[in-house]
Amino acid sequence: MQKQGYWGYLFTAPFVINIILFIAFPIFFSAYISFTHWDLFNPPEWVGLDNWVRLFKQDSFWVSLRNVLFFALIFVPLQTILAFVVAYMLNQSLRGSTVFRLLYFMPVVTPWIASALLWAWLYNYKFGMINWLLESLGVDPVKWLDSKYWWLTIGSVAIVNVWKGIGDSMIAMLAGMQNVPKEVLESAEIDGANKWKQLTKIVFPLVSPMIYLVMLLSTIAAFQAFDAFLGMYGALDAGSVQERNMVPNLLIYRDAFLLTKMGPASAMAWALFVIILAFTLFQRYFEKRWVHYD
Amino acid sequence: MKRLTLSIVVLLLCTVVLAACSSSNDKSEPSGTPSAGASATSAPSESAPAAKSAKLKIGLPGAYDVTSKEIIDGFIAKFPNIKVELQDAPWGDFTSKIATQIAGGTSPDVWLQENAVILGYGKRGVAEDLAPYIQRDLQDGNYIDTLFAAKTPEGNVWGVPHGTNPIALAYNKKVFDDAGIPYPTDDWTYDDLIETSKKLTKKDDKGNVQIYGFVGSISITQGWFPWIKQAGGQALDETKTKSMFSDPKTVAGLQSLVNGINDGYFTNGDFLTANGGDVQSFAEGKAAMYFLQYGNQVSINGNFPDTNWDVVKIPKGAEGKRYVPTVTNAWLISSKASQDSKDAAWEFLKYYLSDEAQAIVAKSGSTLPVNKTALQVLDGDTSKPLNKKAFTDGIAEAGVTLDENATWNEWRIVVQQVVNEIVDGNMTVEEGVKEIDAKVQPILDGKS
Repeated sequence: MQKQGYWGYLFTAPFVINIILFIAFPIFFSAYISFTHWDLFNPPEWVGLDNWVRLFKQDSFWVSLRNVLFFALIFVPLQTILAFVVAYMLNQSLRGSTVFRLLYFMPVVTPWIASALLWAWLYNYKFGMINWLLESLGVDPVKWLDSKYWWLTIGSVAIVNVWKGIGDSMIAMLAGMQNVPKEVLESAEIDGANKWKQLTKIVFPLVSPMIYLVMLLSTIAAFQAFDAFLGMYGALDAGSVQERNMVPNLLIYRDAFLLTKMGPASAMAWALFVIILAFTLFQRYFEKRWVHYD
Repeated sequence: MKRLTLSIVVLLLCTVVLAACSSSNDKSEPSGTPSAGASATSAPSESAPAAKSAKLKIGLPGAYDVTSKEIIDGFIAKFPNIKVELQDAPWGDFTSKIATQIAGGTSPDVWLQENAVILGYGKRGVAEDLAPYIQRDLQDGNYIDTLFAAKTPEGNVWGVPHGTNPIALAYNKKVFDDAGIPYPTDDWTYDDLIETSKKLTKKDDKGNVQIYGFVGSISITQGWFPWIKQAGGQALDETKTKSMFSDPKTVAGLQSLVNGINDGYFTNGDFLTANGGDVQSFAEGKAAMYFLQYGNQVSINGNFPDTNWDVVKIPKGAEGKRYVPTVTNAWLISSKASQDSKDAAWEFLKYYLSDEAQAIVAKSGSTLPVNKTALQVLDGDTSKPLNKKAFTDGIAEAGVTLDENATWNEWRIVVQQVVNEIVDGNMTVEEGVKEIDAKVQPILDGKS
């Protein structure tokens, strides 16, 4: 081996150690824990597939999974489409587009606690602005956040997430749009392409890698949503969230740290990982049909 | 060859770092897997240890919001030979922090948490059994019964209280005076409470309620637990191993609370949210009565000093029997600590239970001391509520814990979930209690 090889190893050692210690080791350790009963204090006790078998029979896990899937189904497309539309509008040379950009980006930098408080008020059954508007239109008030219909509650939280996340995705798409060569659009216009044609045939294909990235990241974010739900439910901890409104991450946290059932919590975490991976692969499979990298 | 050497060096480096992560700081025998209720801890020495130098790590959730700096400083001044290191975290984050510390073997030697959580720790072998220490050094007669809040049926004591927080019936004098209704008394029953709440509830011309008779809390301590008990019902049976929610008396108690909220003479959740929560609604006279936890007086006196209010004992139940639920935060000593640190931790707890330190607890107003001498400090206390005897006599006469056992944290969550559903109108009380029984029993049986 050449002498400079040493230096290479030496310089990368901190990162390698960091990865082994704080990423690889916990991953493999949690996989092992998912086959044990462990209360964080006594040595883990091997129970084989027990946690996994129970997981499949555990209603609360399936309920939380159903909720998060529904959440992703609303949140991902809505945020992607709206962010694209807003980015397209801001990309026109409008007056005051900087102000609008700032306005759309503001929710991103607002802490979840503050946003959640604000929206909880808007959604409040008796005193909320949304129901007040509905009532003035002669519509009955709606229980947004404590409805007996789980989809209404989850949907309400999804809307808040869209409002909060749109700025981030918009910036990414705007960056993509600003890379679209002006000459291409101008020559298309000379050839008689209207705005709609320009958007669908030129802008969309060229920005498609960014759109794809936004979709992928927001799907992962949706599955990992945690403080959004905790904040919107006004819950002090994961223990006080109603089971029919649960999402997997809250459930994992509750079982792991509040009830110290590390085994079942690890099994749940791995199941969630497999599901997110499946979704990502699914999205990648369709990627080549509509995303253009050239 | 060189490459191999290098790989080995890197691997060794990793191993060293990894090993450092899983350090174990105790010199005592490692504990095996203790069976339920059995402790794998060593007994204290025969006599009180001579004051030798030791290190002591004290965990403080919520820093000095819960305990007082004066006590900690007093201990440090009194025992210069004990080197104290403090670890604090916000109350909400402390649970997960301590859980990871316990897993890593780096927990403090002594720390404070909810009594129910401590019972769970005891079962898992995390806590030192304090029964022999108490027997050796404390006179039971100097303390109220709550000293043994963390005692198990097997006789282990997994912690000692920092103080206790019972409830009493608080009433807003101005609302009563305006309505021309006589104040509550210690002889009240729950029926009196309900009837008077109806009389005190005031609506405007449009039928919107302006003032409610009573804060319809649905939490465990101030809500469903006392309502179940007053009707002669139970959450769990005496052995704390059987769920008793389907008991007709339990159902009746829960129904009374739900009726009050649904029929509009107890506050509902939306009203409380809109008016800043239960303490504020009561203090501002939007709810005339309230099952007030002792510690809440601090926030009323601090934020609403002009409110004219007092307390009487919790009303008597259906069978003339009174129940005063009380919540305790307790100190436990880590079973993994070295014997020197355990002895130092016990010195700290003895100091904490002494007249001197408990008087500071009493003056803080955030919790009732368990030391009887310190309780007398309250007699000369002129802060509101004046009738502090409602708390002290109430707990002496009828104090009960919240049916706490090792799985309390888990089954309480289940019950709370269903109670929320009932109050939201998504199921009836009868449907709810069936669901509670079906879910709670497996938890008690250890099959959850």
